Amino acid sequence: MSEKVLLVDDEKDFLDIMSERMQARGMTVKTADSADKALAMLENESFDAIVMDFKMPGMDGIQALKNIKNQKPELQIILLTGYATVEKTVEAMKIGATDLLEKPADLEALAARIKQAKAEKMLLVEKQTEEKIKDILQRFGG
Amino acid sequence: MPNHDLSHDREGVTFFGTLSAAVTHDMKNFLAIINENAGLLGDLAARARNGHFPMDPQKAALISEKIRKQVNRADEMIKQFNRFSHSMDHAQETVDMEEMVHLVAGLAERIIRHHEVFLTVTPAPVPCRIQGHRFDLLHLIFRAFEITCEILDKTPEDTQKQVTVSFGSDPLVPEICFMCDTGTASGWDTLFDDPKDRALLDRVNMHMKKAATGSGFCLCKTCKTQ
Repeated sequence: MSEKVLLVDDEKDFLDIMSERMQARGMTVKTADSADKALAMLENESFDAIVMDFKMPGMDGIQALKNIKNQKPELQIILLTGYATVEKTVEAMKIGATDLLEKPADLEALAARIKQAKAEKMLLVEKQTEEKIKDILQRFGG
Repeated sequence: MPNHDLSHDREGVTFFGTLSAAVTHDMKNFLAIINENAGLLGDLAARARNGHFPMDPQKAALISEKIRKQVNRADEMIKQFNRFSHSMDHAQETVDMEEMVHLVAGLAERIIRHHEVFLTVTPAPVPCRIQGHRFDLLHLIFRAFEITCEILDKTPEDTQKQVTVSFGSDPLVPEICFMCDTGTASGWDTLFDDPKDRALLDRVNMHMKKAATGSGFCLCKTCKTQ
């Protein structure tokens, strides 16, 4: 099954070309030009991964990352940025970013990372489901 | 060297660094789009080579046009950045402030956009020329944008943040005004209050006067500070 990705960037030209190339690689891609719009989309739709620019108008990258992780803890977030400083990378990873890649990114490397992110998300969901089942069994099974 | 000179240098370097970071970030974005378009051409060529799909000349022309668009954007930005870098070459000269406002607005576009502020620069009715150090005048305009954006950050989220820059109509009394069109923002009472900002105004021998409507301010040579 193909990976479903939400691509978030304030550069429309970048969104258009990236989504075209990612779709050509079999991915299902939706786009948003701000973190606010991405958060609104996440309320109604499920994705395997988010590929998001770190610096966009409105909500800053760190805040967006926190909000997304609060809303969907299992969601894998790959950050794309012009410059990845060590401090920013560490901060983003601490909050729960899956990875941080620098622009211009190699699409094959990004696609591989998205595939891996989907597998990680599925593992997390499985774990969450197992825990829920265990919890139900404990409550009703004595 | 006296202490005030050192702090002046530090402020100048910080300003230069801030604009350089914004410009290089933009350049990375242009390169990323060029990179993806080149990649798409490669994808299409590979598919054509494998005999799956013939190369569509119209598609190739469209991609080529998209690459050219990004090259033009990058070229314009580099030209602006080069002009900015050379602003330190001369000590005192007659500086066209309309040109300087456009230069800072172009270089700081990303920074202004991050505050979700929409900027309009109205053409000067008469030339707005000031005698001064070009780099310091650019720094002052940038601080004016920064201060305006910081005030507008405090407005409610759904408010349209529109700023208009206009110029005075008397060539003998050069004036640059930064006005917030919504007229609802508060925070205009403490402008250029920071000692660093006051030092910058002193350096270019300019003053700040608050707008009568309360949602903006003007920078001028001969106006009285309010």
